[in-house]
Amino acid sequence: MSTPRAEEIGLRVGLEVHQQLSTGRKLFCSCPVVKTEEFPFTVKRKLRPSQSELGHIDPAAVFEFLKGKFNIYMWNKESSCLVELDEEPPHNPDIEAIEAAILIALALNSEVVDEIHVMRKIVIDGSNTSGFQRTAIIALGGYLEFSGRRIGVQAVTLEEDAARVLGEDEKARYFALDRLGIPLVEISLDPVTASPKEIEEIALALGRTLRSTGKVARGLGTIRQDLNISVSGGAVVEVKGVQKLELISKVVEYEMKRQSGLNIIAAKLREKGIKEIEVKYKEVQPELFSFLPDILKKDVDGKHLVGCIVAKKIAGFIGYEPYSGIRLGKELAEVARANSIGGIIHSDEFQKLGLDINSERKLRVALEADEDDALILFVCERERSEKITNALIERLKYSIVGVPPETRGPTAEGETRYMRPRPGAERMYPETDIPEIVITREIIDSISRKVPVPWAETVKTVSSKYNIKEDTALRLFDEGKIELFSEIVESTGLPGPYVASVIVDTVAWALREGAEESRITDSLLRETLSMLSASRITKEAVPEILLKVGKGEASSPEQAADLLGIRPMPEEEVEKVVERIVRERINLITERGDKAFSALMGEVMKETRGRAKGENVALILKKKIEEISRG
Amino acid sequence: MEGLEGYRGVARGLLERYGVEVGDVIEVNTGTRKIVGTLVPRYIYDDEFHIVLKLPNGYNIGLDARKILSLKLVKKGEQPAFKVPEPPRTREDLPRVAVISTGGTIASRVDYRTGAVHPAISAKELYALVPELSSIARIDPEVFMSIYSENVEPDHWSRLAKRVEEAVNEGYDGIVITHGTDTMGYTAAALSFALEGIPVPVVIVGAQRSSDRPSSDAALNLIAAVDFASKANLSGVYVAMHYGKSDDIIAFHLGTRVRKNHTSSRDAFKSIGTAPAALWQEGNVSLMLNFLPTRKEVGRFVSKPKFDGSVSLLKFYPNMQENFLRAVLGCGIKAVVVEGSGLGHINSRNIKHLTEFINKGGFVFMASQCIWGRVNMNVYETGRDLLNSGVVPLATMISETAYVKAMWALANSSSREEVIDLMRRNIAHEYLERTLE
Ligand SMILES: [Zn+2]
Repeated sequence: MSTPRAEEIGLRVGLEVHQQLSTGRKLFCSCPVVKTEEFPFTVKRKLRPSQSELGHIDPAAVFEFLKGKFNIYMWNKESSCLVELDEEPPHNPDIEAIEAAILIALALNSEVVDEIHVMRKIVIDGSNTSGFQRTAIIALGGYLEFSGRRIGVQAVTLEEDAARVLGEDEKARYFALDRLGIPLVEISLDPVTASPKEIEEIALALGRTLRSTGKVARGLGTIRQDLNISVSGGAVVEVKGVQKLELISKVVEYEMKRQSGLNIIAAKLREKGIKEIEVKYKEVQPELFSFLPDILKKDVDGKHLVGCIVAKKIAGFIGYEPYSGIRLGKELAEVARANSIGGIIHSDEFQKLGLDINSERKLRVALEADEDDALILFVCERERSEKITNALIERLKYSIVGVPPETRGPTAEGETRYMRPRPGAERMYPETDIPEIVITREIIDSISRKVPVPWAETVKTVSSKYNIKEDTALRLFDEGKIELFSEIVESTGLPGPYVASVIVDTVAWALREGAEESRITDSLLRETLSMLSASRITKEAVPEILLKVGKGEASSPEQAADLLGIRPMPEEEVEKVVERIVRERINLITERGDKAFSALMGEVMKETRGRAKGENVALILKKKIEEISRG
Repeated sequence: MEGLEGYRGVARGLLERYGVEVGDVIEVNTGTRKIVGTLVPRYIYDDEFHIVLKLPNGYNIGLDARKILSLKLVKKGEQPAFKVPEPPRTREDLPRVAVISTGGTIASRVDYRTGAVHPAISAKELYALVPELSSIARIDPEVFMSIYSENVEPDHWSRLAKRVEEAVNEGYDGIVITHGTDTMGYTAAALSFALEGIPVPVVIVGAQRSSDRPSSDAALNLIAAVDFASKANLSGVYVAMHYGKSDDIIAFHLGTRVRKNHTSSRDAFKSIGTAPAALWQEGNVSLMLNFLPTRKEVGRFVSKPKFDGSVSLLKFYPNMQENFLRAVLGCGIKAVVVEGSGLGHINSRNIKHLTEFINKGGFVFMASQCIWGRVNMNVYETGRDLLNSGVVPLATMISETAYVKAMWALANSSSREEVIDLMRRNIAHEYLERTLE
C-alpha cells in the first residue's frame, strides 16, 4: 500500500520547538555557554523516582530504581558551577533571557503573563542533576502566520536545557553538564492537519520567526523539535528531539504509515473475532534449545534464559505488513531493545530464518502452542525476564486497540523508534528557590518596540529594493546576513545581485575549499568588497582573497592581495600577456577565427590569475583576434 | 487546603467577591482571554495584586487581579486523598531504631495539585518513601519537635538528651535524630557531652538538598544513618552526611569535631583535625579511627542533660572595640569562649577587660578562629599575658564545641575549679592528643 493521505487518516500534528537563546550565559547561574569535550571532574548520583508523590507511589518502580543505574555527570569549571551540580540553589533568572523570551512571545502575537512563576518539572531520566527541569510560562496564545493561515500558539515557555547524554553502559548513564542550564524557549503550536511537507514548512517558518528576533542561537543542536502525532482513533505519539528540519516530513510520513498500519492490524484482528489477545508465558527448557532458530542459540549461557510468549490465535499477524516496514514484530523488537535486550524472534519468521518444520512442531508441542498461535521468543538475563515479559505482553495486548501512547525517538533516516511509554500528566510544583517575577506594562511596552518586522516582509522588501530574487533574499535571511548585505550594498554601491552571490555562493565555495567558518567574518566580507569597489582588486580576486584569509594564510584581505600578487595589472601588462598568448596560438585563430575566443580568454585569465578584469581582457583579446583574422 | 492562604488586599478582595477558595478550579476572564486553572496559595510575602493559577498542564502563572474582568467557579476543590501504599513487611528479627525528628524534612511528598510539600511523618510513610529502610531495621519514627535548626537552644538539647536517654532505656539498638543542618554541629556537640557514656550509637542526620526533590541527599543519608545506628559496633554521638559530592559514601563524624563548612553543598560537613570516625558505603562500615567506644551492656543509662545558657561565643577581629567587649562581658554571662586569632590571641588593649571579667568570677576560654590547628599561648607575649590573666586555652577543641561544652560544664559543676577541670578533661574526643591535619 502507498502512504496514506493526511485528511483520510485524520492526521494531527502538534509541533513543539525548543530553541536555545543566544544570551551566551546560563539561565540560573553566571556560567558562560562553552562547549568543550574535556571533563576533568565527575560526580555520581542517583535520583529517587517516586519520593515526591506518595499518593501515586509505585513500589515496583522504587524497587526497580534500587537496582538501577547511577548517573555520572562529567563537568569542567569553564562551563559549569555548583548550580549545575545541584550543589547550590539557582540564582535569579537572567533578565536578558526573560526579555528575549518576551520578545519572541510578542513576535508570535502571544499574551505575556502578568507574573512569571518558575516551576520544577519532574524529570528522572538523569538529564537534570536536580531531578527536575526549571521551566516557566512566559506567554499564552498567539499565532504564527503561515502561507495565509494562522497556526495557533498554545504557550511560550522559558526553560533550562538538559545535560548532554554521552552514553550508557550496564552500570551507569553518562552526561556532560556543559549544556545544562542554557536558556531555551519552547513554543508549542496547536495540532494541525497538514501534509508532512507542510508540517516541515511550518517548523521552518517558526524557526525563521525566532531567528528574526536576533535572540536565538544558531547551529546544530541549538534547535530541537518535538512532534505530537496522532491519527483518528489512535493515541498521541510524541516523537522527541528531531534536530534536523529535513527529517520532520520524513518522521511525519513514517508515523502516518506506522499509525494507520497499526490501526489496520487492529481492525483485522477484530474482524477475526478476537476481542482480547490471550497470552501466556513459557520458559523454553534447555532440552529444547537444539530446536531453536540458530540466531537465538548463540546468545544462551548460564546467566540467560529463553523466554517465550505464546499469543493465542494470532499466527501471521506478527509478521504481517500493512505498509512496507510496518509490522507488529518490529514494534515488539523495539520494546525489547528499549529494555536492553537484543530483540525478539517470532514464529512468522521461522521459515525465513531457516527453521525446519519438525523443530517448529517440537517447540509448539513443548510450549503448548497451537498451529494458529504466534510465538515470541527472546533471550535475557534471568532476573530481568519478568520485566521484559511484561513489557512485551503489554505491547502485544495493545495491538487490538491500535496505536499506543508512546514517546519515540527519530532515527537518522527519519523513521522512529520506541523509547518509553508516554508519561502521565506532567508533575510540576513551584521552584521555591526563585521568587516570581512581575511583568509590568512598561516592560512589555519597551520590548514591544523591538519586535521585528515579520521575516516574510523583510525578504520581500530586500528583494525589491536591491533587485535580488526572493529566494536569494531568503537565503541571506536564513544565514543571518540580511543586514550585512544591505549595509555592503549601501556603502560600496556594488550591485545587489553580485554582493548577494558573494555572501551566499562565494562563501559557500570557500568553505568547501577548506576555509574555516570562523575566519570568514562579516568584516572580511565588508573590507574585501570595499577594496573591490575602490578598484584596488578585481572581481576575479574576491574568491581567492576570501579563501586565503579563510584558510588562515593571511590575516587581512590587504595582506591576502599582496601575498597572492593580485593587485590589478596595469593595462599595458595585460596587453602584453594577451599579445603573447595570441602569438603562441596563432594557428588556433587562423583555423577557427572568432570561435577561438573563449579558449584564449580562459588561458589569459588563468595567466593573469585574478589581476585583470574580465571585461578588459575580453576587449583587448577581441581586438587582437580581429586584427589577426583581418590579416 | 482551604480558605485564601497567602492572599491579601486587592487579590483577596476579588476572590472573596466571587466566593472562590484555594483548590477550586476557576475560569478567569482577563478581557483578552479566558483562562481555566486551579487557584493555588500565594506566599505571604508576595504582593497583594496577583492571583496564582495552576493551569491544566501543570504550570503556574500569576494574573493581575486589577485587570481581571470576572471570575467563574468551574469546580469546587476536592481534598486530595493520599493513600499510603502498604509498606514492605519488616522482619521481626531486625534491630530496632528510634528515628526522632526535630525539624526540617528528611522525607516529604509533594501535592502536585497545589504545589504544597508535606513532610512524611509515620513509619509507614517513611518506609514507603525510603523502602530500603524496611530491610535494615524496625524503625519507630516520632516527631519530637518541629523547628528550624537556627532556633534550637540549650533547652532543646536538654529535652532531646532526656528523650534519647529514655529511648536507650526502652531498649533501642540505636537512635537516629533528623536535624536541620545549620546548627547540627552544635547539637551533636551538646549531645556528645550530655550523653557521655551512652551504650549505643546516636546518629544525627540531615540533608543539604530538600527532600522533595528527586536528587535530595536526604534518603541516602538516612539509610546510612539507620543502618549504622542499627548495626555498627560503636557507641557515642555521630553526624552522618555525604562524604563527597557523589551519592555513594556517607561520612560519620565525631559529634565534637564536626563543622558545617559550606552553605549548600552535600559535603558541607567535615571533621576538623581528624578523619571522620567511619565511612559507610552500600551497607559496609569502615572505621577510620581506632579509639572509638564500642557498644556496651548497661543496666540503666543516665544522661547529664543540663546546660547553662549564660555563655557567649566571641570572635576576635582587628580593631575590636573596648566598649563592645566590655558590653559583652557585662551583659550577665558567666563565661565567654573567645575565638582568638592565630594561636589564641586578642589585641593587647582588650586584655585588661578579660582580666577584669575573670577577677569578678567569669570564665574565659580560648579557641582559635583558624578552625584547624592547636591553640598555644606560650609562643607570643600576648598569649602569655592572656594566660597570666587566667584565660584557659582549649588546645584542639573547635570553638563551637567549646561554646557548647562551657554551657554544659557550668551546669554540671559546683565550683570554679570543677568547671575548669571539666573543660580541660577530654570527654568525647573534643581534644586530640596528636594533631595530624
Ligand atoms: Zn553554573
